[in-house]
Amino acid sequence: MPPTTSRKPLLVGLLAAVFFLLLGLFMLWQRYQILLESREREMTGIIDVVEQNIDQSLKYSYSAALSLALQIDKDGEIADFERIAAQLVDANPNIDAIQTVPGGVIKQVYPFEGNEAVIGYNILEDSTRNKEAFRAIKTRKMFFAGPLELKQGGLAIIGRLPVFIGNEFWGFSAVIIDFDNLIEQSGIKDLSTDKYKFQFSKVNPQSGEEEFFLGDTSNLKFSHSENITLPDGNWKIHIIPVNPYEQFYAVIPVAILIFLMSSALGWIIFNTMKQPAILAAKVKKQAGELTKSELQFRTIFNQAAIGMVRVDSKTGKILETNKKFQQLLGYTNEELIKKDHIVISYHEDRQENIQLMEKLRNNEIREYNLTKRLVRKDGEVIWIKLNVSALWSKGEKPTAHIALVEDISARVKAKKEREENEKRFRSLVENSSEVILIIDSNGFTKYSSPSLERITGYRELYTADTEIFSLVHPDDAPALISQFKDSRANPGIPFSGIKMRLQTKCVNYIWVEVTITNLSHEKSIGGYVVNFKDITAKQEAELNLIKSYDFVMEQNKRLLNFAYIVSHNLRSHSSNLESILDLYDEDGPKEEKQTYMKLLQNVSKNLNESLYDLNEVVSINTNLDINVETVVVSEYLKRTLEVLQLQIEKKGADVDVNVPQEMQVLFNASYIESILLNFLTNALRYSHPERKPEIRISAYKYNDSWILEIADNGIGIDLEQHGDKVFGLYKTFTDRKDSRGVGLFITKNQINAMGGRVAVESTPNVGTTFKVLFK
Amino acid sequence: MKKSVWVIDDDEIYQLIIKKQISKSGVFSEQHYFKSVKEVLHTIECSQLQLPDVILLDINMPQLDGWQFIEMLKNTYKDFKNQTSIYIVSSSIAYSDKERAKEYPEVTQFLSKPVSVEKLRDVANKKSPA
Repeated sequence: MPPTTSRKPLLVGLLAAVFFLLLGLFMLWQRYQILLESREREMTGIIDVVEQNIDQSLKYSYSAALSLALQIDKDGEIADFERIAAQLVDANPNIDAIQTVPGGVIKQVYPFEGNEAVIGYNILEDSTRNKEAFRAIKTRKMFFAGPLELKQGGLAIIGRLPVFIGNEFWGFSAVIIDFDNLIEQSGIKDLSTDKYKFQFSKVNPQSGEEEFFLGDTSNLKFSHSENITLPDGNWKIHIIPVNPYEQFYAVIPVAILIFLMSSALGWIIFNTMKQPAILAAKVKKQAGELTKSELQFRTIFNQAAIGMVRVDSKTGKILETNKKFQQLLGYTNEELIKKDHIVISYHEDRQENIQLMEKLRNNEIREYNLTKRLVRKDGEVIWIKLNVSALWSKGEKPTAHIALVEDISARVKAKKEREENEKRFRSLVENSSEVILIIDSNGFTKYSSPSLERITGYRELYTADTEIFSLVHPDDAPALISQFKDSRANPGIPFSGIKMRLQTKCVNYIWVEVTITNLSHEKSIGGYVVNFKDITAKQEAELNLIKSYDFVMEQNKRLLNFAYIVSHNLRSHSSNLESILDLYDEDGPKEEKQTYMKLLQNVSKNLNESLYDLNEVVSINTNLDINVETVVVSEYLKRTLEVLQLQIEKKGADVDVNVPQEMQVLFNASYIESILLNFLTNALRYSHPERKPEIRISAYKYNDSWILEIADNGIGIDLEQHGDKVFGLYKTFTDRKDSRGVGLFITKNQINAMGGRVAVESTPNVGTTFKVLFK
Repeated sequence: MKKSVWVIDDDEIYQLIIKKQISKSGVFSEQHYFKSVKEVLHTIECSQLQLPDVILLDINMPQLDGWQFIEMLKNTYKDFKNQTSIYIVSSSIAYSDKERAKEYPEVTQFLSKPVSVEKLRDVANKKSPA
């Protein structure tokens, strides 16, 4: 609305006030006029009475003067004046005196007494008073002069009737009326209540000024007076209200009343008129506030970081949604509107929401919170935190409600993950083969994982310091104590790799690897975390590994040796062949060529031997599934000695055998034959030329294993020089032509192939002892 | 001037061959053949034989091998390498043997068998370390 309208009521109110004021004043003025008219009428009435009374008096005076004039004879004389005058005066109470004024000079007067002074007074010659006299003569009518100060004293009016005799002015017949008497006759005194005053005026014929004759002339407001003119004396009688403003004063309260009433009316109209404007303004203001809050609501609704949706509480239909809500669910606003809100709920969570919604609708609750799931358009289920608030006033019928939707999927997911992690870790800890203990600073076990029993057989380790160490192998305890000390000094740092033996419930020791971490500063732990695992199997495996490693290294060494042999020995033959053939090709005598052919035969023989040896070696090393049986060593020894009987006798050797019958080993039969034969042959072959050969063969048990010793007093081997080569292929240590460096090599390989070991002790020129350790 | 030469090798057939080849090459003056290190040491001790200009030395020999011989020689004659060039003559083609030969400043060259007459001439014509 334009702003002018708000001023209109004021204008209208003012106009109305003025209008009512004018109307009231007009009516009041009318009333005032009526009052004035009524006063006027009253005054006119009064003055009419006065006029009539005065007129009456004057008429009597006229008739008295005329009566007197009629007594005048032709000579101008009055016979018997005294008597006539007396009659006239006595009969007329209005008349105070009567005169005859022939020629203007007063001649006779009745009553004489008191009036004698005027006799002889020529009125026509008195310039102060003659004008009225002349006027009467001129008009030939009776004319009243005065009120005058009489010569004889007193104020009176004088009526002069001109008398003509034969058309000739004779003089006057005069009547004197006492002014007071006249006023008395007029009844003025009776008629003038306290409301009115009277005045009697006459324009002085000499001076032309109006003269007043009755009392006080002050405060005469002639504006309110009424007057009448008496032509006989040229007088004016005024009636004047004593309080000319009486009527005015009378209307003043009314006027005030009217003013007040019109003002009130104007005010009322103004207010009445203003009311809609105020209302309009109020409405506008409230509408503005409403718009503002609506805008704010809209902004909040649309820009909110959480999803908002307004829902019809009766039908459950979605009315509007904000952007965030649409983003959360992947629907557009259009798709969501008119949808039942329950449709987007995850089916398992619907029931609870429906129940709460029912309570809300029944005004049992005003709002509710719920953690539940919704289904996105793409079918993905999201976790949300829901807050639903009623939008209707308390106790009223449900209209709509607003739902705030916060996506807590990430939170729920994180929580689930956390729980799963915890579960996983717990199950890891509980199912782990590793034992986890938490030991407080006093050495008491605060926690032990279930694997403890599995590994050690103890249900719990109530470990005062001494007790935990009492379970540790005495040799390993110092290392553990020092680790504990280090751990105490370095909180939070794990000390690991401590291997030690731990006594289990069933007496025997197991190997464990311990890690100690001082977590005393961690509130949730508050102690040392000790975890250890059973590494007995690992430890054994490690030992096996070392054995395997050694075995493989040995094999490798043999292979290298073999390769070397192949490269060296075979090549030596082939290079010889090449050289001989070169020489043969050259020119030379026939005998020389024959020599070369012989050389070639030798080379061929040597090559054949080498190949045979190599084949032997290879067969030992490759024959992995060679037949193994229980061998009674003493029997084989006996047989071998029988084979060598001839040589022993030839050498004159003394053979001493001390091998018990119960010596039985798992071995290949032909290998044991070969080994025994080789050792004994060597002992005989490398006997000392200066003494009788002595060969002692003995066997004994060491650590559950059989050891066979073959000792001789032969030439011996310089082990300082050849130690590592004794069992090498083609290693020979003498100048003897028949030693080829093959026997010991093959013997060692055969023993190794059966899992045994061989060692040699020798002193040159004293003798040699071979020791065979059977598996 | 022709150079003197020692051949140390336990392979008898090789000995015969190398003898023929040396005589064919005709570049060496004095020649001595040894079948073992022991024999060499014995000869030096007993006959006060002078060290030759060239030694053709085998590695693989029974008892004392070629390397041990070099060590002994070093110990006995401090500055022998100024007058004697040692050639390793081996049927070995093993990488390890060639590498080991390089570690000895006393070894002039590693020769793989078979050795030809031309190679012997090259050895003889090579400027002696002295």
